[in-house]
Amino acid sequence: MPYPPALNELIEFFEILPEPERRENLINFSEAAKSCGPKEGEQFDLEDVRKDEECTDTVGVFLRVGDDNAAHFAIELGPKVQTLTKAMTAILCKGLNGATPQEVLEVPADFVPRIIGAELVRLRSQTVYYVLGRMKTAVKMLLDRRRAAM
Amino acid sequence: MNPKFAAYATPDILVDTDWLAANLNTPGIRIVESNEDILLYDTGHIPGAVHIDWRRDLNEETVRDYVGPEGFADLCRRNGITPDTTVIFYGDKSNWWAAYAFWVFQLFGHTKAKLLDGGRDKWEAEGKPLTREVPKYPASDYPVPAKRDDATHRAYAAQTLAHMNAGKKMVDVRSPKEFSGEVTHMPEYPQEGVLRGGHIPGARSAPWSRAANPDKTFKSREELEAIYRDELGLKTDDDIIAYCRIGERSSHTWFVLKYLLGYQHVRNYDGSWTEWGNTVRAPVAKGA
Repeated sequence: MPYPPALNELIEFFEILPEPERRENLINFSEAAKSCGPKEGEQFDLEDVRKDEECTDTVGVFLRVGDDNAAHFAIELGPKVQTLTKAMTAILCKGLNGATPQEVLEVPADFVPRIIGAELVRLRSQTVYYVLGRMKTAVKMLLDRRRAAM
Repeated sequence: MNPKFAAYATPDILVDTDWLAANLNTPGIRIVESNEDILLYDTGHIPGAVHIDWRRDLNEETVRDYVGPEGFADLCRRNGITPDTTVIFYGDKSNWWAAYAFWVFQLFGHTKAKLLDGGRDKWEAEGKPLTREVPKYPASDYPVPAKRDDATHRAYAAQTLAHMNAGKKMVDVRSPKEFSGEVTHMPEYPQEGVLRGGHIPGARSAPWSRAANPDKTFKSREELEAIYRDELGLKTDDDIIAYCRIGERSSHTWFVLKYLLGYQHVRNYDGSWTEWGNTVRAPVAKGA
């Protein structure tokens, strides 16, 4: 299953980086996570803001799917979320915005180690997968809601 | 000296943030950051601090164990630490991993070690400086320690079982729901692969967080004695084992008992619940 083009570009960018540059870029993405939240006045079709037991802080997922069938995400993170999760949030926003809902649902999680590198994959870093899961859940909720309204 | 520290059993085992800010360039010290957040050091750290990663630097990569004497000496050499260097540890999560790194240094007899009271959170909250510049120190010639002294500081599962059978003191420092067996993961963390919930029979519950103030500093000696001496009934010469899930929260409590309260025989069971709760036929108690 091919990844959405923007995500694929990010995967290919990260996986050839030497470790220090990979870390540097992950830090830059983690800082960019601040601007992934909803902008003032922006409208969404679905807002899913909650704190799950396995995550250290609240994560809000905001989703809009327009007439062009392209998904647009905004994600808001609580301050206690770890750096790697922040970085993955910004990567996912950049990589999945514009993808179709079906493409988002079909994204396999196996790209995560290719981006963050084997050294940073830890049991306690599993929340890097959590944001992708929440984005997929939001898409599924929205599709179900629209299907029910038909 | 910070007046709170003077009351502790080992007053100079802690430094406060003001002292550290004034001593960043003092010769003979090495500041070490150890975190749970793997990239936190890279986002900015105390000027001059080096990064010791609990998993990459302190753990043996194949067997579940710590580095040996050679690995420890190599770690110190890479970071320009000599046997005479005073290592000052700090980190996130109320110093869990800083205390863990401190504890590993004790396995190798590096007693010139201290913790920054309040850790990274307090330093940041006070707006003290952080930098992304990674310092480079000349490699040292740290000698290979003769051995890793597990016997004094560390408990294995079989020793913990014998300890339990002898009715000796054990402190379970996990959250109340982990202790009771209601949950098999730490609150706000993913499941770490434990098959059974509950606690080691005979262990008393004293969550690590009770020893910390909201600003992540340690509570006063009087407050700590109220928990461990008065409530848990621990006596100074008791043989005590502390445990959690993988040994980091219990390093925090081990530090409190040994250095702030002066308990003489305290060991950290680092295998902790991820070992005990998966061990076939290991005795388990449920409930508060």
